[in-house]
Amino acid sequence: MTLQLILFFVFSLVVLGAALFVVTSRNLFRSALMLVLSFFGVAGLYVLLDAGLFAVAQILIYIGAISILIIFAVMLTRGMQGMEPRNSQYVGAAVVAALVFAGMLFILGPFRVTFDPQSVPLLNLIFRNATPREVGAVAWPYALEQAGALRVVPETYIADFGRALVDINQYLLPFLLIALMVDVALAGAVHIARQRRPQEMIEDRQELEAEIASEQAAIEALQRSAAPALPDTAVAAGNEH
Amino acid sequence: MNATPLLNGIPLWAFIVVSSMLFCIGLYGTLARKNTVAILMGLELMLNAVIINLVAFWRFIAPNSSSGLAFAAFIFVVAAAEAAVGLALIINIYRSTQSIDPEKLDQMKL
Repeated sequence: MTLQLILFFVFSLVVLGAALFVVTSRNLFRSALMLVLSFFGVAGLYVLLDAGLFAVAQILIYIGAISILIIFAVMLTRGMQGMEPRNSQYVGAAVVAALVFAGMLFILGPFRVTFDPQSVPLLNLIFRNATPREVGAVAWPYALEQAGALRVVPETYIADFGRALVDINQYLLPFLLIALMVDVALAGAVHIARQRRPQEMIEDRQELEAEIASEQAAIEALQRSAAPALPDTAVAAGNEH
Repeated sequence: MNATPLLNGIPLWAFIVVSSMLFCIGLYGTLARKNTVAILMGLELMLNAVIINLVAFWRFIAPNSSSGLAFAAFIFVVAAAEAAVGLALIINIYRSTQSIDPEKLDQMKL
């Protein structure tokens, strides 16, 4: 029982407990605060994974930026406070979430079970010659130096990561594309959320109405000028026959 | 299970199980909440679970390459952009309809 294992249990309990509170709480403001606690626990997990850079990034981006945005949204939609926390399909949602978790635990978790296709009614018709086999628990290709020990993270991993992001042979193009994407997304967000002043909206409406009126006048003028022309074309069409 | 290397006493599957639990909690929140801001909170939890997974695989399987960190960083950026756009949309919708119940947002239905 190492210190790191104890810390892992503590951080996992904080993350999962806070996340459960986030999805079940009736008070949306409390669930936003619990979301911050959950993000802190995730930052602790990054520290246990020797990725201190990501712990800092987690605190800066998630807690410093995203949580603040969410708290702002909660406060700007004050009228929605006393809302029922669950919609009508929450039982189905819980079942789906539990099934997804069971599937992931079966594939990714530590348990290996012996599965005999002959014991399952339909499968024994398809796999006649199948033998019992062990399923579950993917054997990940660990980069082992000697059995049971993990490679150490290089001292310069942050510098390597920075170089990989601007290396044309590695991640330069995705890096530039993601920079462009976040730029466009933020500009779009500013445009969508921009509060238009009432005076501006009135001017816009007047402009629109004037435009519609002028178009209507143009259409009427066109119809008036086209109306006498109609018999002529009919006559011309009649002459041809 | 016996041959799994440990990181200071913690096996890889422990991180994966915690992150899949977090993912499923976020999935439940996304599917079952009645408030659009709460749905976005569930989405953030799911994205966090994915980043834990990527960093854990980086540490256990390929600590000498930067791929895991690079993809985790891209997800960070996508999460920030998604939160900004989503919350801007929510504020705009609330301003025009005085409601952010997703079941009432059917103006685009044919």
